[in-house]
Amino acid sequence: MNAPDRYERFVVPEGIKKVSYERDTKIMNAASFTIEREDHTIGNIVRMQLHRDENVLFAGYKLPHPLQYKIIVRIHTTVQSSPMQAYNQAINDLDKELDHLRNAFEAEVARHSRDY
Amino acid sequence: MDGASYQRFPKIKIREMKDDYVKFELRETDASMANALRRVMLVEVPTIAIDLVEIEVNSSVLNDEFISHRLGLIPLTSERAMNMRFSRDCDACDGDGQCEFCSVEFHLRAKCMTDQTLDVTSKDLISSDHTVVPVDFSDSAGFDSSEQRGIIIVKLRRGQELRLRAIARKGIGKDHAKWSPAATVTFMYEPEILINEDLMESLTLDEKRSFVESSPTKVFDINPHTHQVTVVDAEAYTYDEEVLKKAESMGKPGLVEICPKEDSFIFTVESTGVIKASQLVLNAIDILKRKLDAVRLSEDTVEADDQFGELGAHMRGG
Ligand SMILES: [Zn+2]
Repeated sequence: MNAPDRYERFVVPEGIKKVSYERDTKIMNAASFTIEREDHTIGNIVRMQLHRDENVLFAGYKLPHPLQYKIIVRIHTTVQSSPMQAYNQAINDLDKELDHLRNAFEAEVARHSRDY
Repeated sequence: MDGASYQRFPKIKIREMKDDYVKFELRETDASMANALRRVMLVEVPTIAIDLVEIEVNSSVLNDEFISHRLGLIPLTSERAMNMRFSRDCDACDGDGQCEFCSVEFHLRAKCMTDQTLDVTSKDLISSDHTVVPVDFSDSAGFDSSEQRGIIIVKLRRGQELRLRAIARKGIGKDHAKWSPAATVTFMYEPEILINEDLMESLTLDEKRSFVESSPTKVFDINPHTHQVTVVDAEAYTYDEEVLKKAESMGKPGLVEICPKEDSFIFTVESTGVIKASQLVLNAIDILKRKLDAVRLSEDTVEADDQFGELGAHMRGG
């Protein structure tokens, strides 16, 4: 009867930001991004993409609790970059990778439907 | 200050493709991307399923909620789902979830008038939208199509009746598994199997045979003429390590070396029939793109940080 609605797992409540950003107070070029209503799907690809960036000294994510529907991505970069820049770059690169993947898959589907 | 791009350009090769099944190779990317696609296909690609049932008459042996649950699980053709609205963000019907943009209406009327038991099936559901109908499994599976009469909902005896109205809505598997378009989605690392030929030649034919037979799946074989052990099907290997244990116990560690290629994956995708398996993969890519778009930093977050971080920006040389 008092069970929370199922959609609470993936719908961002009104008045809450999807992504919030918080600088580290002690370390230069380190910050945490709190992403609401996301899980390992986004957390892991963003983390792995950040690892490809040579200006990223540390990138990790955590799902603090299975009943808190958010992830925290933490990034530490060199002075050549910034956590925000690295984060944006990672998302842009993943986005372009998926564009490429979509075209490649469509071409293969077309090739296959023609050949068989 | 614009950063360098670290984008990848993955390769795809489809091996086998049927309406509800596709097997393909994904190369030059990493496990995080493969797993994200798998997870999105399972629980985030939207489909249409019955979500609300109003029962007018039910004198069958099954109670109302039992029948409602069964109706929810019936797969409905969902090509439309990607362009449909979720009822909760539909402004045309104000959250009522019963307008043409976010729902499809179904009616079912069945009454048994004879002594013969009447099967009420998914084919008795009358849809208000001809593009959203119960999935027809009869022709594709190769069953006798005259026999196949859809998915049984309930059986009625003489005098029993079922009459209802049902509303189907767009949803995702994360909400309820009835909305999942995927029957199975799996991927495996492509294995690379190297045989140490010198060490292998030091084995007798019987030893070779017992080595080949130690694998639970048929990965290796012996050439009947040259008695050489070869890899016949590397992908049959299930990472069970049985052959490695066997080599160890024979006192020949390093006889074979097996390593997963960490940038090559073999995917199998099986759909429930609500959309084509190939479409499922494409939809998953689109959904993942949308998700990434949603986690971009908003303008105000960036501005707030710019003001806060004058000093930091100065120190970064930006
Ligand atoms: Zn609506």
